[in-house]
Amino acid sequence: MRLLLVEDHVPLADELLASLSRQGYAVDWLADGRDAAYQGATEPYDLIILDLGLPGKPGLQVLQEWRSGGLVTPVLILTARGSWAERIEGLKAGADDYLSKPFHPEELQLRIQSLLRRSRGLANQPQLEAAGLQLDEGRQTVKRHDQEVQLTAAEFRLLRYFMLHTGQLLSKSHLAEHLYDGESERDSNVIEVYVNHLRRKLGREIIETRRGQGYRFSGDAA
Amino acid sequence: MRSIQRRLSLGLISVLLIVGLLLAQSSLWLFDRSLRSYLQATLQDETQTLLGAIVRGPNGLQLDERRLSAAFKRPYSGLYFRIDLAEQSWRSRSLWDRELQPVERAGLQDALADGPQGQQWLVYRADYKRYGQSFVMHVARDYTPMLKSFNQVQKIFLGLGGGALVLILLLQRLIVSRALRPLEQIRLQIIQLQHGQRSQLDQQVPLELEPLVAQVNHLLAHTEDTLKRSRHALGNLGHALKTPLAVLVSLAAREELKPLPELRESLSGQLQQIEQRIARELGRARLAGEALPGAHFDCTRELPALFSTLVMIHGKYLKLDWRADPELRLPWDREDLLELLGNLLDNACKWADSQVQLQISRQVHGYQLLIDDDGPGIDAAQREEVLERGSRLDEHVAGHGLGLGIVRDIVDAWAGQVQLAQSPLGGLQVRVTLPLKRT
Repeated sequence: MRLLLVEDHVPLADELLASLSRQGYAVDWLADGRDAAYQGATEPYDLIILDLGLPGKPGLQVLQEWRSGGLVTPVLILTARGSWAERIEGLKAGADDYLSKPFHPEELQLRIQSLLRRSRGLANQPQLEAAGLQLDEGRQTVKRHDQEVQLTAAEFRLLRYFMLHTGQLLSKSHLAEHLYDGESERDSNVIEVYVNHLRRKLGREIIETRRGQGYRFSGDAA
Repeated sequence: MRSIQRRLSLGLISVLLIVGLLLAQSSLWLFDRSLRSYLQATLQDETQTLLGAIVRGPNGLQLDERRLSAAFKRPYSGLYFRIDLAEQSWRSRSLWDRELQPVERAGLQDALADGPQGQQWLVYRADYKRYGQSFVMHVARDYTPMLKSFNQVQKIFLGLGGGALVLILLLQRLIVSRALRPLEQIRLQIIQLQHGQRSQLDQQVPLELEPLVAQVNHLLAHTEDTLKRSRHALGNLGHALKTPLAVLVSLAAREELKPLPELRESLSGQLQQIEQRIARELGRARLAGEALPGAHFDCTRELPALFSTLVMIHGKYLKLDWRADPELRLPWDREDLLELLGNLLDNACKWADSQVQLQISRQVHGYQLLIDDDGPGIDAAQREEVLERGSRLDEHVAGHGLGLGIVRDIVDAWAGQVQLAQSPLGGLQVRVTLPLKRT
């Protein structure tokens, strides 16, 4: 999952970056509204966390530009201005959720998880469930046939992405784009390694390889 | 209430009455004076004619009857004389059985003397010497015809003056009400202003009212501006405080603090208190109290947006609906009412099973907001306590406690009431009554 964080307060951004990467998200960070307006529309993000009081361009305007440009990525507004009038303004501008500062890190984590599930058309469930697997995003473990399987951080990221895109054909470069932030080296061979790890832990049949096209996650259902 | 119209009428009436009466009376008096001085001249002529009629006869001095005018001979003709000599006196035949009382002073007498048949005499006395004798001559003329015509003239004056007064008053009423029409217009506009149907007074007014209207408009703009600026400043303060607070909350949740649960607990507790305090005080401070007319809450415009926001937050499985009279406007600040309704409905959505309902209705003395849900509700015994708890700051139930606290602040600021009751939907009913503002 690749997220864009737009926040101009550096200490808060640092905190959020640290905690989001602990949760296995690849996060790009921007502090200026103008940069965000451009980068948010061009890079393939799975979710955007947007502060409203931004230098360069106000957050609401950035959001309106994205929406009028046809961007459908879910946007979570993060702001100190928590009044209902402002919340309505934000949602009118096209936000999908609204979290007012200060917030508990866990609250943000839950909102992100539920927004991601919602945007994939999955019902509001406490745990991510797909194709017979249950993913515990807090403890980064997966349950299969009532058996808990430990995952490394990289495996967890990859499996979560697969589970949110069950049945879809995903190319290696697509996976690399969504699993690593803009700064990281994108080596598609690494993906291959982690796919093999997951197969070893959860069974061969769980991820299908389409030669020259990519992978398709079908889980136990296949 | 003193009416300008009435004051103008009273002033005009008294001025017209005083001036009119003075004018009429003094012109009558002047006319009387000139008439009398003219009559004095004719009376003097009469005495000279009489003097010419005195001749030396066989029995001494006597009056030549042939030289006297006929009016002296006809009884009560209106013209009389009396001539007093040393030892005798002659009187005109017209006097008949009356006496012409001699007077002290020579010349025309100021006072009128009484005559027969209601006549009023203007008496003139002249002293002459002739043939070695001194004559005291009195001539009198009846003045009643003149008095009568004066009376008539006075009546005509009175009638004409009265008619003119009525006409002038009517015209004045018309003119004043026309001249005051812009004021009446402004009065109506100010009423509209209070009802939130307009945000400014019309600039198209007469020259005299222009400064007033401009001043009122300026004041309105200034108040709105100040309010906006202070809200903006408060928002900025909130932003400035809340972002570092978010960092602290996030720091307090760090892995490194996990081995120190007590420290972590008290850190997050204190942070939560700061947060609630800020939220509460910001909310309280930005309560506008008196809403500016342009920012009133228009139900049909604001509620759909609020409800779609609630649907977005709480998902589509809840059935949310609202009922309010079309075009209903609540005379309070839009943002404050959104805050009030947002918090109450959010709370209702959190507890509801499937349905939340809002009803806004106009009552005799104000407005009533009813928020119903079909959730578990609250026991009658605990309702008071929940309301109490809502107003306390150290309440830790996020959303519930603080939300109700803010609601209480807003409702208190508007002198309203919050009541909790059993909802017909099965859950809790929150009833907010807001009294109409005295204007």
